[in-house]
Amino acid sequence: MKYLLYCVFFFWGFLLFSQNKEVLYGLDETPQALLLNPGARISNLFHIGIPLISHLHFNGGSSGFSTYDIFQKSSVDINTRIKNTISELSDRDFFTTTQQLEILNFGWKNKKEFYFSGGLYQEFDFVFYFPKDLAVLAWEGNANYIGKKFDLGEINTRGDLLMVYHLGATKRWNKKLTIGARAKIYSSLLSFSSTDNSGTFETRISESGNNIYEHLISNINLSLNTSGIASLNDLEGGSATNKILSRAFFSGNLGVGVDLGATYEINEKWTASASFIDLGAIFHTKDVESYAINGEYTLDGIELLFPPIGSGNSAPPYYDDLIDEIEEAFPLESIYDSYTQMRPLKAYASLKYNFGRPAGGDEGCDCLNTGENQKYNQSVGVQFFNMFRPKGPQFAATLFYYRKISDYLTFKTTYTADSYSYNNIGLGLVANIKMLNFYIVANNLQWFSNFAKAKSVSLQMGLNIIINENK
Amino acid sequence: MKKNLYLLFLFTVIAFLFSACVKDTDFNQTDDIALTTVLELDFIFFNINSQNFTDLGINNTTVSDTTDLDFLDSGIVSENIIRADFYFRNTNSFPVSFLAQYQFLNDNNEIKYEVIVPVQAGNNIDPVITEFTEIIENNALVNFTMATKVVVNTIATSSLNNINGNLDLQSKATYYLRIEE
Repeated sequence: MKYLLYCVFFFWGFLLFSQNKEVLYGLDETPQALLLNPGARISNLFHIGIPLISHLHFNGGSSGFSTYDIFQKSSVDINTRIKNTISELSDRDFFTTTQQLEILNFGWKNKKEFYFSGGLYQEFDFVFYFPKDLAVLAWEGNANYIGKKFDLGEINTRGDLLMVYHLGATKRWNKKLTIGARAKIYSSLLSFSSTDNSGTFETRISESGNNIYEHLISNINLSLNTSGIASLNDLEGGSATNKILSRAFFSGNLGVGVDLGATYEINEKWTASASFIDLGAIFHTKDVESYAINGEYTLDGIELLFPPIGSGNSAPPYYDDLIDEIEEAFPLESIYDSYTQMRPLKAYASLKYNFGRPAGGDEGCDCLNTGENQKYNQSVGVQFFNMFRPKGPQFAATLFYYRKISDYLTFKTTYTADSYSYNNIGLGLVANIKMLNFYIVANNLQWFSNFAKAKSVSLQMGLNIIINENK
Repeated sequence: MKKNLYLLFLFTVIAFLFSACVKDTDFNQTDDIALTTVLELDFIFFNINSQNFTDLGINNTTVSDTTDLDFLDSGIVSENIIRADFYFRNTNSFPVSFLAQYQFLNDNNEIKYEVIVPVQAGNNIDPVITEFTEIIENNALVNFTMATKVVVNTIATSSLNNINGNLDLQSKATYYLRIEE
């Protein structure tokens, strides 16, 4: 039990946050910026990611607390800290984990100045909202909560493991506007979601007068959708893994989606951009198994009837009858109907102000080759991110400073306020050494000296080969 | 020279990023994590009159009934319970007092725990409420959680023949659980 709790709190508090890549967005020196805005302005003629290491991404965390909040060295008992943490959280708090591994990424510019880019990557995305009422019920029980309705509808979770195949095109439409779009085919390997639940549990002073209390389980409507999971139940570990991997090549549940993006140069100093990522859905038609429980029941104990039976005869099976009655009140229904699931849509928007030394304007300047139309080696700006989750959007707002230090080195630093904290500092570095393009991005660096205090952590890194127009 | 400085800067930053640490935490505290849950649950209830007694004989003074309580010896309860309080509230409109006897038995019908509740005599106009709480803990609790059923004997101190009245029972249990490894 305690190891289960340990794992929950460790991953909750220390693992990784949502899908916002605030540092990588707009960092157009990396080809992966095209996956965040297909309308990004890039100056490449050609790029290819080093297979399997062109983009590694871990991202996630908790909106409510950090590992340190629970496991700090303190004279206060850990159970008191957990209880206090539960009381501070709400049912809108959540924890998420996102992981991406790019398997292939390539791009080239054709004679008509279209930049095509494509590839495939694997993604795991998980979100779990904190079911506060259930946590209070499990941790403290109902004794101090007579008359309170515990909301079982707070159960809300979703997880997806999928492969994404994509092909996009980016075009500088005119001097000011660059637009792009990316088509995606999703091949879902595993998926589960339980997002549309309702019902309450209440212990109240009896209104019928039968007994002291009435335990009411009311309007229960719980459901869990799964696809790609039911057929794995009877398989051994190795066979199950092989079966999952075999779905990667279009034999899973398929879906389609699109990314849209644009960059607009308002004037020489100001540039705006925006994008929508994963506007699409997955159609779960194969290996689908869903479960639903509906019902309601009022328990007021076991009523003894004292039937006039002689010694040696058995009393009525009160307890077994009660259990049967409860089971009949909440039948578990298995459903095999197909269902459609929207992908979690992400949206970015950015406005930046360019300044610094004009590129190429000064003999002593080290700031050449700053991109297709970038005339300055520095910029500051603001970015917004929004991700649509089952219980509503997750917002993030970012202030950033970008600087191209030399032909070889670019950095971007960010200050982000999001669901996790109001002071998330991120840093990204891009190094171009000959044709080799290396980048690394991390955030929550203000907790660098002790990451246990961070509510979220994000890391992205990768290696590409790029042939630049300016070479 | 400048290029070398930039590379040095790059490698320094990367080394910085990879040397992040976690400190001032003690994950051995997981040994101390325990859920201390207090559950309030209805127990048994009944409402009987003189016919329940006289059906078994005109001067019969004892009625009995039994119910299984399989959850008591289940792992989650027997391994984690640290205390159980049983609260009984009898409402008596008979002008006769009773003894309510609760015998918690195991599968071999051996008594593992017993509670005897005296119920005061009342009257039809003004039924008398008798409340009683039994707290079970320590060694008694070990025996108690071996039980799988309870036999309830309601014993009148005199015959109820031709006496009007009712005896109600309402009861609840408070289970104190401490769930750890």
